[in-house]
Amino acid sequence: MSQITLTGVSRAFGKVGVLHDINLDILDGELIVFVGPSGCGKSTLLRLIAGLDRPTGGAIAIDGKDVTTVPAADRGLAMVFQSYALYPHMSVRQNLAFGLENARMARAEIDARIAEAARMLEIAPYLDRRPGQLSGGQRQRVAIGRAIVRNPTAFLLDEPLSNLDAELRISTRAELAALHERLSATMVYVTHDQIEAMTLADRIVVLRAGRIEQIGTPLDLYNHPANLFVAGFIGAPRMNFLPVKVAPGGTGRSSLTLDGSAGFEIDGNVSAANGEVTLGLRPHHISLADAGKGDVAARVALVEALGSETIIHTKTSGGQAMLAVVAGQCRVASGDTVDLKFDTSHLHLFDDTGLRIAVS
Amino acid sequence: MADVRNGIATRAGAIILAPVGWLANVFDAPLRMLQRRTGSNGMAVFFLAPNMLVFGIFVLFPLVINILYSMTGGGALFLGDRTFVGADQYGRLFSCGSYLDPKSCTEDLFWIAVWNTLAFVVLQVAMMVAVALVTALVLNRELRARSFWRAVFFFPVLLSPVVVGLIWRWILQRQGLLNLMVFEAGGTPVNWLVERNWAFAATIMVSVWAHVGFYALILLAGLQAIPKDLYEAAEMDGTRPMRVFWRITLPLLAPNLLVVLVLTLIRAVQIFDEVYVLTGGGPGTSTLFLTQYIYEVGFASMLRNPGLASAASILMGAVLVVLTLIQLSIARRNEQRGKMR
Repeated sequence: MSQITLTGVSRAFGKVGVLHDINLDILDGELIVFVGPSGCGKSTLLRLIAGLDRPTGGAIAIDGKDVTTVPAADRGLAMVFQSYALYPHMSVRQNLAFGLENARMARAEIDARIAEAARMLEIAPYLDRRPGQLSGGQRQRVAIGRAIVRNPTAFLLDEPLSNLDAELRISTRAELAALHERLSATMVYVTHDQIEAMTLADRIVVLRAGRIEQIGTPLDLYNHPANLFVAGFIGAPRMNFLPVKVAPGGTGRSSLTLDGSAGFEIDGNVSAANGEVTLGLRPHHISLADAGKGDVAARVALVEALGSETIIHTKTSGGQAMLAVVAGQCRVASGDTVDLKFDTSHLHLFDDTGLRIAVS
Repeated sequence: MADVRNGIATRAGAIILAPVGWLANVFDAPLRMLQRRTGSNGMAVFFLAPNMLVFGIFVLFPLVINILYSMTGGGALFLGDRTFVGADQYGRLFSCGSYLDPKSCTEDLFWIAVWNTLAFVVLQVAMMVAVALVTALVLNRELRARSFWRAVFFFPVLLSPVVVGLIWRWILQRQGLLNLMVFEAGGTPVNWLVERNWAFAATIMVSVWAHVGFYALILLAGLQAIPKDLYEAAEMDGTRPMRVFWRITLPLLAPNLLVVLVLTLIRAVQIFDEVYVLTGGGPGTSTLFLTQYIYEVGFASMLRNPGLASAASILMGAVLVVLTLIQLSIARRNEQRGKMR
């Protein structure tokens, strides 16, 4: 097992900086997920840890030993590639054995490791097939098996579920979580899918444009996003953002005014430079209220009834789009006017630079 | 500026395409009428007919005529003036005391050409595949000015074989460029095209130089089709470079290598033009190959024998058919393997 430490790591391709001053401690045995939109540098960061690429600045250490210039093979890590990268001309058994043969391991030990991985991943019946004769899910297991047999100090997984269909992705996600539980290994997992990140991670690293936006547990990020980007990226459906004016309210309270007319009060004092802030509220924290008892009135634009919950797309009189997710099934239709009630205990405020404002 | 350029390009395109549009309009009505009458299959026949006609006149008809010629004897040119001899010409070609000793054969030149061609094929194919593979591996690396180097290796392919022969004759002749360089370097000039072994080596070297770009291109395409992830996985696995080559690159390149091997074989068996210009088959008969033998016997010698030349060409054709069938079977297998991946 291992701890991976990144100190001031940066990577540039020519004059284009892809990663900037990344500082991160990946703890022993934790499953950490790098998440972010395409092009944010998450895969590049994983490749730097793997040793497939060299940083242009900073240092990478594994268990306290500087490995910045150490070749990939000598870092003791194993990687599961997005495309699985299985050798198509070799059988599953040969794929699993290849890395061990490179290390000149005894045949008996190789066979034992393959048998153990095959048992763990339930791929024993396919050992003599070639990757081309396997389904996507089976190939994915073989790719993980190839990493497991090497008994690495840490696993690096580069979007391993992205080539699977939706149903298989959910089941494989659960299997990966169970595997992590069983192996207690350090895992670094890259994905652009925030649901994958939320369900698998011990901690999530949110990246944007080569910079870390926030590091924290999934619920930390969900409940206390550090900025507008994280707030919008984590959670589905996406958080609503509304421009509001803030003013002192009653004792120890602040008044927020939306659309120039509708307003409500929250506990705590909010300090904003020009009195204008962005209110963030998750769709699950907006409910339908009786007529005249809501915080804002809105017109229903679209209703998506999912059975267990209903997603209501609305637009306020000021033209502000707002999404509400209501538990169960409710009788609203496009064109209706509804009163929306905000759960003020779950609202988030952001200043004009996008940073979270603390409510004192 | 870009808008102006785009405008000019659009107008130029419109001018170039105008006659095409005009032709399409002119032929639209009659072609529609034809399709109504003949149906889709009839239209297919209609469009294929010109090509089939050309193929019939220039390939199929000469092939049949050639088979007939191979069963006739004498020096007369027209088929009607020739006497039917059955399989005598083939018998003459195969009349040998020992096939390993051309001097014991009735047609000793034919067997000299056969053995020369065989030696040429073995050596040239081996060298061609090896050089093409090395070239492709080098050109596949992150080289500075990679496109330039790729073009450099491909340019000779664009040259006419006669031009290739002439260029190398100027280089290799007694007072040619190579000997000048040897002399300048303090060495003794060699009669490259007059000494038997050097002349034979020159034919191999020149044909490899002329065609290697084409085969390297096929292998380069194969190398680039190998996913980079596999190499990265091998790197993570700590695979040594030579093992990467033998265990990953070579097996995954095998389908392309087989194609190159068979295409090279087919071409090597047919070698003629550049060698004819370079050495003329000499010195003596040391670079006399099968196609040149057929040409000499059929057209160039004083006692020309079209029947014998036809028989030899039919035999050579049979070898080429076998090689082509092998190539087709490889292509089919590659296609199936591609579907499996």
